Amino acid sequence: MEEYYLICEDSLEGIFTGIYDAYLMKKPHNRIHICLGEDDNYRLFAVYQTHPPDEKKAASVARTVIRQFGEETYLAICRALASEKPDKAEAVYKTVAAGLALKDKRDLMGNLSNPYIHRVFELARFTANEAHYHVEFLRFKELENGILYAVIGPKNNVLTFIVPHFADRLPLENFVIHDEIRNIFAMHPAKGEWYLVCGDENRLQAEHAFSEGEKKYSELFTSFFHTIAIKERSNYGLQRNMLPIRYRRYMTEFQEK
Amino acid sequence: MEGELIVQTTENKSLMEKLGILSDAAKYDVSCSSSGVGRRGDGTGIGNTLAAGICHSFGADGRCISLLKILFTNECIYDCKYCINRKSNDVPRATFTPDEICELTIQFYRRNYIEGLFLSSGIVYSPTYTMELIYEAVHKLRTLYRFQGYIHVKAIPGADPQLIQRLGLLADRMSVNLELPTAEGLKKLAPNKHRKNILSPMRQIQQGITQNKNELVVYRHAPSFVPAGQSTQMIVGATPESDYQVMMVAENLYKKFDLKRVYYSAFVSVNEDKDLPALPGGPPLLREHRLYQADWLLRFYGFEAQELLSESRPNFNILLDPKADWALRHLEVFPVEINRADYHTILRVPGIGVKSAQRIIRARRSGNLTFDDLKKIGVTLKRALYFITCNGKMMYPTKLEEDYITRNLIDRKEKLPFDKDGMTYRQLSLFDDNSELYWKQAVSG
Repeated sequence: MEEYYLICEDSLEGIFTGIYDAYLMKKPHNRIHICLGEDDNYRLFAVYQTHPPDEKKAASVARTVIRQFGEETYLAICRALASEKPDKAEAVYKTVAAGLALKDKRDLMGNLSNPYIHRVFELARFTANEAHYHVEFLRFKELENGILYAVIGPKNNVLTFIVPHFADRLPLENFVIHDEIRNIFAMHPAKGEWYLVCGDENRLQAEHAFSEGEKKYSELFTSFFHTIAIKERSNYGLQRNMLPIRYRRYMTEFQEK
Repeated sequence: MEGELIVQTTENKSLMEKLGILSDAAKYDVSCSSSGVGRRGDGTGIGNTLAAGICHSFGADGRCISLLKILFTNECIYDCKYCINRKSNDVPRATFTPDEICELTIQFYRRNYIEGLFLSSGIVYSPTYTMELIYEAVHKLRTLYRFQGYIHVKAIPGADPQLIQRLGLLADRMSVNLELPTAEGLKKLAPNKHRKNILSPMRQIQQGITQNKNELVVYRHAPSFVPAGQSTQMIVGATPESDYQVMMVAENLYKKFDLKRVYYSAFVSVNEDKDLPALPGGPPLLREHRLYQADWLLRFYGFEAQELLSESRPNFNILLDPKADWALRHLEVFPVEINRADYHTILRVPGIGVKSAQRIIRARRSGNLTFDDLKKIGVTLKRALYFITCNGKMMYPTKLEEDYITRNLIDRKEKLPFDKDGMTYRQLSLFDDNSELYWKQAVSG
């Protein structure tokens, strides 16, 4: 029996297109797999096909997912697809396939005993947790021209999940959040709608001069950070549990002056 | 004369010095939550709040830093024996201006350092006067700066009730500190404070919240009064109350005063006083931990204080958490069948928390659960396996015997206060005191 491997682009659109095409093949789902990019090692008795992303197909799958499983499951799937793990495409595909066969489609994510659904649940949780960490630990620095500028280095692609929070919180500020791993920027003009910009070299090279106030307030906060801790209760392990070390290099209070 | 002197010295202090003094003075207040109210920004100012709350950093003691926790002033006329700011202490004193508080809050908030403001204060002149100062700062922050983030203020016992009412319309959370679990303790350690004065603003806030909820039903846009509820805190270990007494007080506060949270604060000895206990082993952190564990059992697990402790067993077991301790004393209700038992029964199994219990209920609709599934769901099987069956079978053949289970449940990693009676596992070394080193490590990250 031949197995089919659909090679898709690593994006929401790409993977949704893969799911659409997998259904078009009209073969049993357990013989179709979706993977991202080329495998290191090809399997025997397997057919590899490349599927470029298609806007219409992706939109159709997204519509079906929302209509059949509800907004919440759709959000969980989006989060899972923002994950850094390569097995996300296969997990989401099999989850959708399992979900469409269910009687109670709204409760799809409750079926944790299905390994694919559990995997989607796990990936979505990881992305959601990391997004929340960034909402907590992201730090803005004020540039000379008054723009607030933040740099993040997340494992999963969380940028689009965190910008709405800051756009709601700081409507009158011009701010930029820069994902330095993927080199994408989220731009928010004051009183305007935010948008994404894929990085170009010039922007990255631009030297950031910080404003007068920046030094003053970062020093004030760093001093506050140190005085607020109770020495008799010092607990380094607990601090590290709550605030993983990989976030600290982006945080004002841990940066060397 | 003395008052004038103080005012002169504070005027010369820089913002940095003031922040240092007044955050250092505020750090013994435990509450730092920014939860309880979800509010989107209206687009005209700065800030919003999330119902779950957001922590923005964690200090070297592992406590979260969510709010800019400061005192308005530490020039206090009271002489509470446990407090670093007591009148008779010789510590540097400072007072903020309302503008300085607004500036710090807004500038910290824009940079995502904090989630809002926690404003408490020492008592200057009188409770009402102090409350007016706090009101002025909060009012300015809300109206002039259009700050819509989280604000937690202290209601000062003995202040004009009208002022508390007005402040409640600006703040998200208010709290009145109970300070000590019993009236006798309060009398002994805080001679200027009275139990009655503490409970009456608490009652007022409770009634204000209830009334406001009714108003909101009729008028959707009525201003909300203390929408995130009120909290309080008790110092544990400064007076000789038992855990049972503390838990009974907490339960009463939850039931009769509708409090959102009761905080327990392990007594940190900052002053030397004949009425205060000496704590050579440091603050009673394990006791505080057990109280919080029990507090969670009261609020989320449907336990009652009477079930956990009694007059004859007034203190928590040092070696076991309160839930495991309860389970071991009630082995007759175990084992519980995971695929059939109701939610409340499952919730009482050690090793299963609220989230796992909810997931179990949801997941078992689509098929029988096995121990493997439970592991995926997030159940701590190491603890739960003695108390549950899946499809009628236990995970391993185990004895349902108190001694046997106790031996297996004791968590060796938990920090136990062995050093109190001279027993400790730490290896002897020439430089015995490592705490300084750990402190430096934690501060520098």
